[in-house]
Formats: sequence, structure tokens, C-alpha cells
Amino acid sequence: MWDLLQGPLQRGVLAGRAALSIPTGMAVAASEPPLPPEVMGEALRSEVRRLFRGSLQLRQLSAGSCNGCESELQALFAPFHDLQRYGIDIVASPRHADGLLVTGPVSRQLEEAVRMTDEAVPRPRLVIAVGDCACDGGFCRDSFAVHRGVAEVLPVDVRIPGCPPRPPEILEALLMALGRLAVRAGVARA
Amino acid sequence: MTLESGELFPVDRALRGLRERFGEAVLDADRVSLREQVVVVPSARLAEVVEAVTREWGGTLLTLFGIDERAQAGRYRIHVMCSLAPQDAVLTFVAGVPEHAPRYPSVAARVPAALWLERELADMLGVTPDGHPDPRPLVAHAGWPAATHPLRRDFSPPADWQWAPRFATPQVEGEGVFEIPVGPIHAGIIEPGHFRFASMGESVLQLDVRLGWTWRGLEKSAEGASLSRGLELAERVCGMCALHHALAYCGAIEELAGVQVPPRARAIRVLLAELERLVNHLGDMAGILNDVAWVVGWAECMRLKERLQQANDVLFGHRFLRGTCVPGGVTREVDDTQQLWLRSVLADVRADVVTVQRLALAEPSVVDRLAGAGVLSREVAEDLGATGTAARASGRTLDLRRDHPYALYRELDFAIPTRSAGDVRARFELRGDEIHESLNLIDQLVHRLPGGPLVQHLGELPAGRWGCGLVESARGALTHWLHLAPDGRIADWRVRSASHALWPALAQSVPGNIVPDFPLINKSFNLCYGCCDK
Ligand code: SF4
Repeated sequence: MWDLLQGPLQRGVLAGRAALSIPTGMAVAASEPPLPPEVMGEALRSEVRRLFRGSLQLRQLSAGSCNGCESELQALFAPFHDLQRYGIDIVASPRHADGLLVTGPVSRQLEEAVRMTDEAVPRPRLVIAVGDCACDGGFCRDSFAVHRGVAEVLPVDVRIPGCPPRPPEILEALLMALGRLAVRAGVARA
Repeated sequence: MTLESGELFPVDRALRGLRERFGEAVLDADRVSLREQVVVVPSARLAEVVEAVTREWGGTLLTLFGIDERAQAGRYRIHVMCSLAPQDAVLTFVAGVPEHAPRYPSVAARVPAALWLERELADMLGVTPDGHPDPRPLVAHAGWPAATHPLRRDFSPPADWQWAPRFATPQVEGEGVFEIPVGPIHAGIIEPGHFRFASMGESVLQLDVRLGWTWRGLEKSAEGASLSRGLELAERVCGMCALHHALAYCGAIEELAGVQVPPRARAIRVLLAELERLVNHLGDMAGILNDVAWVVGWAECMRLKERLQQANDVLFGHRFLRGTCVPGGVTREVDDTQQLWLRSVLADVRADVVTVQRLALAEPSVVDRLAGAGVLSREVAEDLGATGTAARASGRTLDLRRDHPYALYRELDFAIPTRSAGDVRARFELRGDEIHESLNLIDQLVHRLPGGPLVQHLGELPAGRWGCGLVESARGALTHWLHLAPDGRIADWRVRSASHALWPALAQSVPGNIVPDFPLINKSFNLCYGCCDK
């Protein structure tokens, strides 16, 4: 196990937070993240502290997605992004959650299970739709077998578009949404 | 492949065998593409001929599906596709089932690999395979009104459609037998599926897997769609295998159009495909290590996966490689600087994978859990038509990159590692080996990409024709079958993913294990729900 930790310790980077180094002049197809993830993370930490006493617990609900959005959420809670360090975590039971992170358009076969999961979340709760499918049905919105997004089934507070949204984009959206929620809830800025 | 003198090519041997044994049942035989040989048989004999080809003449069932031809011919048409590897040949049996009596003797009754395929066929088209060993619906949950068959052309969603997900499960009775229902909603960031365990004490007696929760009706959505809309659907059947779905879809179009993809595009397709395989295998290894609570290994594998996805984004503009593969070629150039950079990123990955795997397998708490858990025997793997890493970990040397080469695989050098134990450890170790083969493949290409254009124009497409794309996704064989309508739009599109083939095999590898090992066994297959349900 020591072997594994040695490299990161020597490089001074735990949890593999080092970004890829890209040689100058090399063509890059990726778009720039809105802000460095660490900066957004720190801002998120203070929002979470202010609004949720430092701990925001979310339950992920997969509702007919292609797994792409789930994969990005997994990436957010894994090394590099590691959202737990800002006070946000994924919980196993809806009863322990402050809100839901819903992916997928809500396939009709899953609708009842989605409603039952939501009912198990204590109120008030946040409903966050992650990905184009969850926002409005996305690429399959015209299929009879799905809803046109989570809002047809649950009251959605936050929409995060993208197919799938990249982890930094999810971070940015969460940050903006929490700010807006604070205004709505009348929480004064610290 | 090479032949001894006097030996026949597998497809010729099979055809001769069919004519000798089934004589009058071979109604017609025709080669429809360089690879595909079609044999028309009466539906009453379909099961027998498929059994003979798969048991005696070296065929492997790839897929079985049906289309609605009632308007044109008063029948449903069933296709059964078999691979005749090592020859790059596909033998397709086509059988008509009359509209007024939509039933035929079940193929699955003789060839268990067709179990789920025929259950789906019955749901989607309302064609009954008589004598099917498990005729329960697959996608249709209870609450679907009678005669709701979405892939019939005249289908429209019934107004009284109830979507309540109640269904019957096979009952196991006896003193001390418990039923444990799990899902469809799972703890964690995972897709939905329902598992029903019958257990005695800690041991699982039987596992029933009920999916269909993420069914989005995608094959129906494709009816009448343009080819570009079809690509959008194909890439979104599955997020983790988005690139391979695009590759298979494009492969189908290229086959029906008779188009050769330019060499440079074929090489870049190999780069893309192997990157996707690496991301998947690293994620799967992470999942296995997480489920045995060796969190440091999980973290290391997830870190490597994240690096690769960031590299995907840097080079191709998408972390899941969507939008890179189009009919006729690819959309993204990879220049020399980028290739060298990719090689340096991958060199680190190689070293780190070696370390994490060595350490994991030296950790008694890891090995104790992996070894002997979730054994899939070679016989069961063969019978149920298991594919991909799971089949290779049970001793089967199957790989479409070699059996039906696409992209540039014919010109590249790679091994097909296997294991024989068929347990979680074998599947874990094999992923490590396959990661090295993927890295070797990419190394062979860096700085040696052939020159030339990235896309071949498709030209006028032959209306009414069909084509099939076969690719080896990270989980195994993936088939896209595409049928063009006279107006050049999509008439029918049928997808069969590796997960669809592997779920029944997974269900067989669980009984005899303890309930708490199920998540681990499940992770060692790491099957997809979305691309199985569609
Ligand atoms: S938004 Fe895109 S990535 Fe997310 S579930 Fe839908 S198709 Fe998949």
C-alpha cells in the first residue's frame, strides 16, 4: 500500500489532484472550465456551510439515463474532484438526504419508483436535475416511453444541462444554484 | 484464417451440412455482403438449424430479432445471426412467421443463448416462441395492456397504459427459505434493476434479474428517423460505451453502403476504441476493489480513469468520446504532438496499473474475497452465449476485434488473454491484462498513423438494404443491425449489447455464493442496464 501512496506524497499531491500538463502549442479540443475546480469547490464549501450547516447530503436517483451522467457524478465523488471535502456527500438512503440528484428523463417504467423514493426524502428537499435528459427529456424527449424530464414528475429546483455536463460544469451549476436558493430563502450573505 | 488442403471454409461447411441434413428446409441461400450469408428457412425448422450450426458447425449466436413485414408480406420476419469465427463470416437465418398465426418453435428451447432475445421478441412484436423455457415478459412490466407490442409498425401507446411495475417472480419454497427483494432503486450512483434472491441462511439459492426500468423505446424512436438522428440515438444508448455504439452503428451503415473507411480514420477509430476500453476497465477494477473495501485501490483506479477521461476531452472534445465517429470516418484529427502527448499520459497509466494490480493481489483481504467468488463455468458461459471479458475469464477465446476485424485491427498486433477459473479474481486479473493489450495497441499507432482523409463520402445509399456493425465493446460483442427504408430513412434498427448477452450468465454465477458477495460479483461483470433495456 505504501507503494501506492509514495508517488502522490512525493509529488505533494494527495488524491491525484494534479491536472494533466499540456505542452504549449498543442491543440486542445476541450473547452476551458468556467473557473478552476478548486476555486469553485472552496466557494461551494462556504455556501454549504452557510446554508446547510456545513453538510449537504444528496441521494442519487437514476431515472432512465444512459449512465453517462451517473459516471460524471461518480467522478465528482472520486479522487481529483472529491466533493466530500467541501461538505457534500452521496448517501445511500433517501431518508438521510437533503435532496435528490436525478439523472435521466424518468422512464415511465420507473415512474412509480421515482415517486416513492422522493416521498421518502424528508421535507424540505432539493431536487436537482442533472443532464439534458433530466432537464427536458433530452435526445429521447419524443419517445412515448419516457417523460420529458424530471419536472413532469417532481418539482425541480435546479437544472444542470449538458450531455453529460462535465464535472466542473456540475460544480459551477451547483454553486450558482445554492447562491440563488440563499436569496430565495432570505439567508444573508456572511 | 488458413485452411488445410481439402478443408472447407466454416461457412461452406455449415452450408453443406445444412443442405445435407435439412435439404428441403433450406429455402434459399444468398450472400448479401462480403461477410453475411443469408439462409432462408421455414420458421418451424429455425430452432433445429440454429442448434445444428451452433453445436456442430462452430457457430456462435450473435443476436436474434424480428421485424414487422405485415404490410408488405403479411408476416413477421425473424433474423438469427451466427458468427462463424475464425472465418470473418456471419451466417444469418431468416424465417417468416405468418401474421395470422404469430408463433414458431422456440430457438431458446434448444439454444439457451437465445433466452432473453426471444423473451424480448415476444414483448416487442407479439410473436410467441412456443416451448420457451421461461416465457415471462422481459421488458414489458405488468400493467402493459394485452397486445401492447411497441415494435409493431401500427403500434400507438394505448390510452389505458398502466406503468405500475408489479410482476411475478419464480417462487422458491421450503422451510428456512427467504426471499430478498433488491431494487429497482439502488444505494449509490448506479442504474436501476430489480434482483430477487431466494436464500437459505447466507447462501443464495436462486437469483432472478428483472430489468426494463430504463427502457426508453429507442429502437421505436429510430423508425423513420434520419441517419444522423440515428447516430444521436446510438451514441446515447449507453454512456460508458458511447463510442462503441457509434462504431457499430457506423459499421452497419458502411456495410450496407459498401463504403471503405479511409485508413487514417480506421487508425483513429482504434485509438478511440481502446481509450474507451481503458476507461471502462479502470472503472470496473475500481468498482471491484471498492466492494472489497480496499479503498486505496479504488481511489487509484478512479484517479487513472479520471485522467484518461480528461485526456479524451483534451484530444477529442468529449469525455465519453461522443461526436467523434460518423458514418464513413471520424471527425477529429490527432496530430503528431497530440499523439506523443497521449503516449506520455498512457506511459504513466501503464506503470500505475501495474503497481495497483500487484499490490491488490498481494493483499490477503482482497484476494480472499476475489478468489472463488461468482464462478461462471466454461460450459455455462458457452451455453448462455457469454461474451467479452466475462467469457474470456471463463476460458473462451472470443474477441470480435480478431474474429470479425473492423477499423484497423487486422493490421495490428494484439493478444487475447484468457483465464480459466471464471471467478471474480479471473475477471479482475484479466482486465489488467487487457489494459496492457490496449496500451500496446495505442503504442503501435503513435507516430505511425497512416496519412489521408478522415471521412469517406457515403454517396447514394441503396434503399431497402440492411447492414450490420459488429464490434467488441469493453464488455463484449455489440451488434447494431440497420435496415433502410425506400426513402433512405431508418426502417428498423436493432441493438444487442454485451450486457444483454451477459445478464443471464451473471444470474447463473451467483447461486451458491453468500448474499453479501452479490455486489462484488455484480461489479466483476459490471453490466449495463441502459444498453440492455434500450
Ligand atoms: S443527458 Fe446525455 S449523458 Fe446524461 S443521461 Fe441523457 S443521454 Fe446520457
